[in-house]
Amino acid sequence: MAGAKRFSRFALAGAGLAAALTATATAIVVASGGDSHAAARLSVADPYIPLPAGADQMAAGYLTVTNAGRGADRLVRVSSPGASSVTMHRSTESSMESVDGLEVPAEGALTLTRGGTHLMIMGWKQPPAVGDQLELDLTFEKAGTIAVQVPVKPLTYRPGS
Amino acid sequence: MPRTPRRLAGAAALALTAALALTACGSSGARPGSANAVVSKEANSSPYQGTPLTAHFDKPDLTLTDTGGQPYSLRQQTAGHTTLLFFGYTSCPDVCPTTMGDIGVAMQKLPAEDQKKIDVVFVSTDPQRDTPKVLRTWLDSFDKDFVGLTGSLDQVKAAAKSLGILVEDPVVNKDGSVTSSHGAQVLAFLPSDDRAHVLYLSNTSQDVFAHDLPLLAKGVAA
Repeated sequence: MAGAKRFSRFALAGAGLAAALTATATAIVVASGGDSHAAARLSVADPYIPLPAGADQMAAGYLTVTNAGRGADRLVRVSSPGASSVTMHRSTESSMESVDGLEVPAEGALTLTRGGTHLMIMGWKQPPAVGDQLELDLTFEKAGTIAVQVPVKPLTYRPGS
Repeated sequence: MPRTPRRLAGAAALALTAALALTACGSSGARPGSANAVVSKEANSSPYQGTPLTAHFDKPDLTLTDTGGQPYSLRQQTAGHTTLLFFGYTSCPDVCPTTMGDIGVAMQKLPAEDQKKIDVVFVSTDPQRDTPKVLRTWLDSFDKDFVGLTGSLDQVKAAAKSLGILVEDPVVNKDGSVTSSHGAQVLAFLPSDDRAHVLYLSNTSQDVFAHDLPLLAKGVAA
């Protein structure tokens, strides 16, 4: 009898532990699946567009998306009320390639920078000038759309310079 | 010491490999300046922060049209001048304007007499759209003295190939934009022998150009 009691107590303790683990796991799933802000907490810093050099006003946009959350997200679309086309590109060794989306890692950042991943902006509704701002609407898979006012900077500007 | 075609090809391959290795370093997060410093042992003893070349390419025998609509022979018109050479296209949003802008900023820091000693030559890889006028407008944004060349794409491809630079046909995308090729590097030719001695990857910082341009203007050996 004593032996059987001991066994059942042990079994109960084990069952309790398993229940606690399940509850914890469920809580994580709820947090990442139900509340997108708990999964990916995004903010955008240092956005800028160097003044385009050519008459065709082909421009690049650069910015950093920081993710303070524990879930990854993905930039899937960029548009602007002030330009007909905004696309995502990655510069390669000798050319560039368009990309469908860009990962924003959990507790990390997506950095769009000169010579690397960048936005390509075409079809300006008004000719850009230094000091202008262009709204870019960044749509993320989970976090939804974030609108950013992006300043047009001198051609050779770099953040911090 | 006549150079055989085989030796030239080998030299080009070596230089290209160095450039590829450097780019790989850059994309893993290392800064271009520090990447340049580790590429070759020679770099340690060179006064330049750019990458000294072991294969000293000849200037390509290239005659195209300049932005004034006149024929321009690269060899003849830059003979005895320090020359910075870059291949690109004007509807390139990122690498081309960044590279030319960085050179432009560094040039403006030089005294006027040193600026005159350096020819900066941009060769179009999209000659169909980069007319002399289009090129001039684009280059004026960086420096009114930069030389822009356009003309036969076949000639441009051959000239680039002789320097280990791959230029492919431009692609017109569905949205009307054009994706063409740009060099992964700027090559610096010294006035002493009109050959390439220093390489700058196209993501080289303004500081590296600012450091090296006064040396290039004086024709200091790499």
